[in-house]
Amino acid sequence: MADMPAPGERTPDQRDSHLHVQDLGSEVSVRGSYEALLGGQVFDDSKGSRLGVFFWLAVGWMGLVVVAAVTAPWLPLADPDQTGFGGRLDAPSGDAWFGTDGNGRDVFSRTVWGARISLVVGFVAIAMGMVFGGALGIIAGYFRGVVDRLISFVMFAMLAFPGLVLALLFIATLGSSLTIVSVTLGLLAIAPVGRLARAATLLYAEREFVQASRLLGASHGRIIVRELLPNVLIPMSGLALLGMALTVVAEGGLAFLGLSVSDGFSWGKLIVTGAAPRTLREGPWVAMFPIGAMFLTVLALNYAGDRLRWFMDVRELAFER
Amino acid sequence: MVGFVVRRVAALVAVLLAVTGLAFGAMNVLGDPLFNVVGFIASVDCDAVAAGEVDDISGQTAGGRGDCEVIAEARREHHLDRALPIRYGYWLGDIVRGDLGTSFKNEMPVREVIGEKLPKSVLLMVVAQVIAVGLAVPWAVAAAYRAHRPFDRASTVGTFGLVAIPSFALGVILFYLFVVRWQIFSSRYDDTDLWSRLRSMVLPGLTLGLPAAAVYMRLLRTDLLTTLQEDFVLMARAKGMSDQWVMFRHVLRPSLFSLVTVFGLSTAGMIGGSLVVEQIFSIPGLGRALVEAVIRDDFPIVLGGVVVVATGFVVVNFAVDLLYTLIDPRVRADG
Repeated sequence: MADMPAPGERTPDQRDSHLHVQDLGSEVSVRGSYEALLGGQVFDDSKGSRLGVFFWLAVGWMGLVVVAAVTAPWLPLADPDQTGFGGRLDAPSGDAWFGTDGNGRDVFSRTVWGARISLVVGFVAIAMGMVFGGALGIIAGYFRGVVDRLISFVMFAMLAFPGLVLALLFIATLGSSLTIVSVTLGLLAIAPVGRLARAATLLYAEREFVQASRLLGASHGRIIVRELLPNVLIPMSGLALLGMALTVVAEGGLAFLGLSVSDGFSWGKLIVTGAAPRTLREGPWVAMFPIGAMFLTVLALNYAGDRLRWFMDVRELAFER
Repeated sequence: MVGFVVRRVAALVAVLLAVTGLAFGAMNVLGDPLFNVVGFIASVDCDAVAAGEVDDISGQTAGGRGDCEVIAEARREHHLDRALPIRYGYWLGDIVRGDLGTSFKNEMPVREVIGEKLPKSVLLMVVAQVIAVGLAVPWAVAAAYRAHRPFDRASTVGTFGLVAIPSFALGVILFYLFVVRWQIFSSRYDDTDLWSRLRSMVLPGLTLGLPAAAVYMRLLRTDLLTTLQEDFVLMARAKGMSDQWVMFRHVLRPSLFSLVTVFGLSTAGMIGGSLVVEQIFSIPGLGRALVEAVIRDDFPIVLGGVVVVATGFVVVNFAVDLLYTLIDPRVRADG
């Protein structure tokens, strides 16, 4: 870590050149679709090494959503499935903050409850991507050779496969339980996370502290877990937040194809029900409030992930060797 | 250069084999191909029928043949009695000869189905990319020209927001504003002539194109700022060239790398996004056909669609690699 510059040492201009011509091919391929979606560094705040007030705002929003989702059963909310809570498509008011839907159900309560499934899917999927993608990436980057070529090729093929089509294939044939949806989206997260983990491992595998450990007679397993893993986890944590945002969105996309979680409802499903032309005309709030919740959450995850990545200075990890 | 192309083509073929193999395997292992061809009679135990122990379900089918004959014929025709890799080999052989098979459901040749649906999806991609690039280039030039000024800062916030909107949410918002509220566009897909087709593509194109424009704008702005610090720009300015001339003739071209790379990647992303967008705006494109086919277990259409989509993705990325060499002659040396 010694030769990593402290984040504050870089001038705004240096940060602007962060996506430089030469590293572009690898930059993009390493982070795959995650990077493509974000397009690199977004805010150039020249305040130095602090994470900034917006970062904490983003964290605050994420905290609020998580707490609300976890404690939903104990919050003083209307029953999300109670059809006669208000009239049909009541506008937002003091009683029903987000209005009511076509069946007179409280949209606010449904939005809070919908966060539960959206967050569970996002969390399970990205955790799966981290565990399997991380393990495969580290193994490929550490052992190199045939193992590396095999794993890298599989990941490349997985990235070449249109993700939503794969999800469609799996969910349509296996059914759309919460487990299947989460695991399928987790499968899609493996390749991008794996490529980042591999690139990060390549960077550290030949460093002095790893060689020292090897000379001391440490086994491969010990080197990987004690020396490499802590270093590789740093860039992966930023990616995890970005990946979670992508997964929450992907679940919404599946909902539009009629393939979202069948037991219960998520933000995606709420948006789909609100997006029917007639509902949209008579009660746009049914779709717009869940859209707002999802937008703010994705924004917060993106911003926090991006900021974290910048803060930890993982730029050099993008260089693939 | 020749070696480079050969290597790239080999990688391209390998990826296509892996992708189609994955799709073929998934469809055959997760689903029941026999059931999809012959329907419920697939459950008839033909050994028992042959031994005279039980009757088959229908006794006689429409063609006057027993269920077991139908099953046997389906097995022969689709090679269902062979091992999975061999079946994949047969399918691959058909593909190479240009035969994508026929739909299980309505007996339409897959080639015809794709031939009918694909142009609409391609048109959507083209419209979306034209919107994205058409917006991003002037926007990035304007922002980079006065970097760190209010317009640039506002653009930064704007692009960050645009990237965070899920495509379906943007689609719903646009649909609400332009179709429901202001009634500028119709909710129907109008296929009468090219003009009305383009008109139907405006909203879906914006839905896919706006987030892409934000990504392109960020990348291009960053690269423009890097290029602006080069000596040759100083030189051009010192010679007294106008700012516009310097920006568009000297700075823009060497700054296009990231854009070209991400163009390939975002086309892939758009293929996924178009599945959903075609659904929202009811465009009868390939994405919609694919979704329907997956839900109805229509294997040949799904596989045909996956082949087309994956080929498109790989070919676009291949084209991007070639495009590099056109933009920057230095890359050729590495080839």
